[in-house]
Amino acid sequence: MAENIKTANYDALVIGAGIAGGEAALNLANNGFSVLLVEKDLSIGGKMILLSKVFPTLDCAACITTPKMSEISRHHGITIFTGSEVQKVVKKSENSFEAVVIKQPRYVVEDDCTACQLCEQACPVVVKDQYQYNLVGRKAAFIPFSIASPRVAAIDIENCTLCGACEKVCPTKCIDFTMEAEEYHITAGAVIVATGFRLFDPLKIPRYGYGQYKNVLTSMEMERQLAPTRPFNTVLRPGDGKVPDKIAYVLCTGSRDATVGNPICSQICCMYSIKQAQLLMGSLPMADVTIYYINIRSFGKGFEEFYEQAKGMGVNFIKGKIGKITEKENGNLILRYEDINENKLKESEHDMVVLSVGVLPNTDAAGIFREQKLEFDHLNFVGQKDPLASPAETNIKGVFVAGTASGPMDIPDSILSAGAASSEAMRYLIRK
Amino acid sequence: MNKKLGVYICHCGGNISDYIDVEKVKAAVAGEDGVYLAKTTMFACSDATQKEMVEDIRSNNLDGIVVASCSPKLHLLTFRAVSERALLNKYNYVHANIREQGSWAHSDDKAGATEKAVSLVKAAIAKVRLARSLDPIIIPSKKAVAIIGAGVAGMRAAIELADMGCPVTLVEREYFVGGRVAQWDVMFTTNQTGKELVTRLYNEVIARDNITLLTGAEVVANSGSIGDFTLKIKVTPRYMKEKCDQNNLLKAIEACPVVVPDDFNFNITSRKAIYHNFPGEFPQYPVIDIKNCTRCGECEKICSSVDFSQQEQTVEVHVGSVVMATGFDPYTPAEGEFGYKLSDFVVTLPQFKRLTDINKDNLVYNGREIRNIAYIYCVGSRQSEGDNKYCSRYCCTSAIHASLEARNKFRNVNNFHFTRGIRTYGKQELLYAESLRKGDVYLQAYEENPPLVEVKDGQITVTINDIMTGGREISVIPDLLVLVTGMVPRADNSIASKFKLPKGRDSFFNEIHMKLRPVETVIDGVTISGACQGPKNITESVNSALSAAAKSYSFVNKGELALEPIIAGIDKDLCTWCGECEKACPFDAIKKEKQGEKEIAVINNSVCKGCGMCLPVCPVNAINLIAFSDREIESMIDALVSV
Repeated sequence: MAENIKTANYDALVIGAGIAGGEAALNLANNGFSVLLVEKDLSIGGKMILLSKVFPTLDCAACITTPKMSEISRHHGITIFTGSEVQKVVKKSENSFEAVVIKQPRYVVEDDCTACQLCEQACPVVVKDQYQYNLVGRKAAFIPFSIASPRVAAIDIENCTLCGACEKVCPTKCIDFTMEAEEYHITAGAVIVATGFRLFDPLKIPRYGYGQYKNVLTSMEMERQLAPTRPFNTVLRPGDGKVPDKIAYVLCTGSRDATVGNPICSQICCMYSIKQAQLLMGSLPMADVTIYYINIRSFGKGFEEFYEQAKGMGVNFIKGKIGKITEKENGNLILRYEDINENKLKESEHDMVVLSVGVLPNTDAAGIFREQKLEFDHLNFVGQKDPLASPAETNIKGVFVAGTASGPMDIPDSILSAGAASSEAMRYLIRK
Repeated sequence: MNKKLGVYICHCGGNISDYIDVEKVKAAVAGEDGVYLAKTTMFACSDATQKEMVEDIRSNNLDGIVVASCSPKLHLLTFRAVSERALLNKYNYVHANIREQGSWAHSDDKAGATEKAVSLVKAAIAKVRLARSLDPIIIPSKKAVAIIGAGVAGMRAAIELADMGCPVTLVEREYFVGGRVAQWDVMFTTNQTGKELVTRLYNEVIARDNITLLTGAEVVANSGSIGDFTLKIKVTPRYMKEKCDQNNLLKAIEACPVVVPDDFNFNITSRKAIYHNFPGEFPQYPVIDIKNCTRCGECEKICSSVDFSQQEQTVEVHVGSVVMATGFDPYTPAEGEFGYKLSDFVVTLPQFKRLTDINKDNLVYNGREIRNIAYIYCVGSRQSEGDNKYCSRYCCTSAIHASLEARNKFRNVNNFHFTRGIRTYGKQELLYAESLRKGDVYLQAYEENPPLVEVKDGQITVTINDIMTGGREISVIPDLLVLVTGMVPRADNSIASKFKLPKGRDSFFNEIHMKLRPVETVIDGVTISGACQGPKNITESVNSALSAAAKSYSFVNKGELALEPIIAGIDKDLCTWCGECEKACPFDAIKKEKQGEKEIAVINNSVCKGCGMCLPVCPVNAINLIAFSDREIESMIDALVSV
């Protein structure tokens, strides 16, 4: 590999191609700056591209994300590396960063693949589909998801048996098992960190029974069941495929909870749960939806009205934190909680429970800044040096942070934060 | 000439195809005159379909396309770009909205929705048959930006733009910069004071040669449009020279006989007619409040800097783009609302913040030492009855922060919070946790059963049925009651009408699309930032200010702009100037002009938005809208009624 190092030069390096990184890259490119956008996943679009609809406007997430992603992917000023990781970044001087980027092999020649999916049909290996949050399976030769960008097949080499079936059927002969990782040495004038967030893992709260009770799912799994590209084309409970008619939401799963190491509020769960509840009332008109909450935090523009709308549609809101969930023989779930309104301990039965899991920091960017280290705050989010006057600034001059890498944020706030980061990067690049 | 047309009908993942039989629509239009190919697609906007369209157009030499999908508001630009990539002039693409006007509107009638979709697509086909290629109107764009409001958002945007090499005129209505933030003391999260932050930004502003700061300045007129706005700015004088001896100044202030409420302190204190808000406020020289000044001349005798000869000026600036950063007003409760005005000891949150800033060792107000403080939240926000349905977003954190400051700064302070559920979102939760740890008392009620305030013999009693303790009735007799008031749009928002800026349901300025174009307005070239768009804390305001700066920069940095050619056109021969079109135009794009012997209407191409308001009012039918000519519209109507 070492003998085959490629070099390239850009005005800005953007790490992470979710909605924040994408927006920042677009802003820069539209103002004439060249951008390298590096994404570790196989598609750009981050978490947003996998969502159903987004609050408070109920726009379909794909309808907003895909044109943006499409604009990004064909912008002359933007180069995209998917399936790639920034291994290290060293600041050489002002306006000069050196980065090592490793492009992992996809085992498919991107330019030649027509996304015909014949390889997918031929592949005998079935594994869990991470893009459908493990609700269904996928092949080892696969297109990540229908609206992925690039919409190009990849070989999951860890699960591939090297049987060669895909190679045989590929009409353009674009599958190439000899591909190796490529190393790029990049110089860039500025860096934007847009590495996003991780979701809380509810296995850390065993009393909620996630992983043990089949009809307890995470909000992201529900999100996939509600998305236009959903696996079942309706909402089903995973335990037995029954259409649920009494669904509960458990807010603050892994947020505002020091016992699991996350004392802060995740800022998005109230709203996405209210949104899912509204969508469920639409797709399952007979279903009861109950949201168990500590406080409803509908603070953004149009959010309070959205909350009121949900109440008007008949979503039940019960103030009370869920203590424990147990499973009945028929797969239904008993939720034990303190009903604050009635000042009583109560139990209620639901046939499906959604855990509204919170936002955790993604520390992927921690190790990559060498020599001058990138500072993180005590919660492990990327540190903001001057949060009031320059929220995008980090401790390294020329390195800016966009979106949820610096803390929980909803989509409108992420986009504004990305706008700020790109503005700061432009100013930094122009000022030199 | 027979055009070769392509038609694409979108499933929108099910948003459309769950209600409309898209295959049926395809079959119904495939035989239409000129239709060379008709296809259905899962997501017309997806990358793969876009590629396919480009391929189709190129390999079949299509002369026009119809995309039947969602609202063109969402994807008009997407498919125009597709056409351009296929080297098809983008005005040869016509959109049919079969989602908002089809599947979503008629989800209860699948057959009807399908039938309607067929009609809509046929009408679009009729229109594309007559479509012509058009070129954008290229206009020069002046590389300069005006920013209205020199609070933190405005100053921050100004610094940003200036450093990108773009000259800025920063217009502040007050005599001092800093807006609301100048009025705050120690702030969450950094423990900086508002003054420190404002000082820093002000110093950065004046250090830049390409920022012109005008204080006491107000935009009185705006003409022109994106690329070339002409703003008339009225600058009222301070009646003070710049250099000023501090000692004499203090004496002059002392000598002034006029005493008026000090709005910097939200009227909890008073000031003189010659004043500065606090020593060291910026710009660092005082002002004579000429409205209240009696011209007694006492100050003039002591301080040689007083200069009553200064004159009001009107400045004209030419800019390519305008950033609105006009901020908010704190909500003013109605008399009697939670005891407001019924007692001297009921104050608003901004007043309380000024109070804790002004007092040094003991918290004293109106001669009373304040120990027990009650806070009622959501005053003026989340109103089920009133106009303000929205949550003001900053107040929970701000009130908790102020109450902690009071606790830390003064002895023996006890805080009692009457809430509707605390909303310290994100990392702000840690502040709430700290407050709980320190022993602040939190009580809660729902909106149907708000806390009751009684004022009797100078004693305030706040009573609540606290849901946290099973609805128990709890009363607190505080020394001071703080009404945690929210944010409302500026009371004097006349600037909006000068720019014809639209407002949202909440009466704040409205963005085009919260996620796609969050800082742009329907008025091209005018961006919005900070709390004038909706409640925000400082970090959020600055993020939006920098986003607006970047957007405004993109309007001016290339020196020219391409504008939409879909505008109105006047038939010179038919026009007899009656003035009806000028009255109907919401953008002031039509003017009378003498051409030879005749007076006719003339359209300003860079101002006309192609809205079509002028068309129906013309008595002689002399106006036509490019791409929406009578011929095109009539052909669409024919297609619609012939089904």
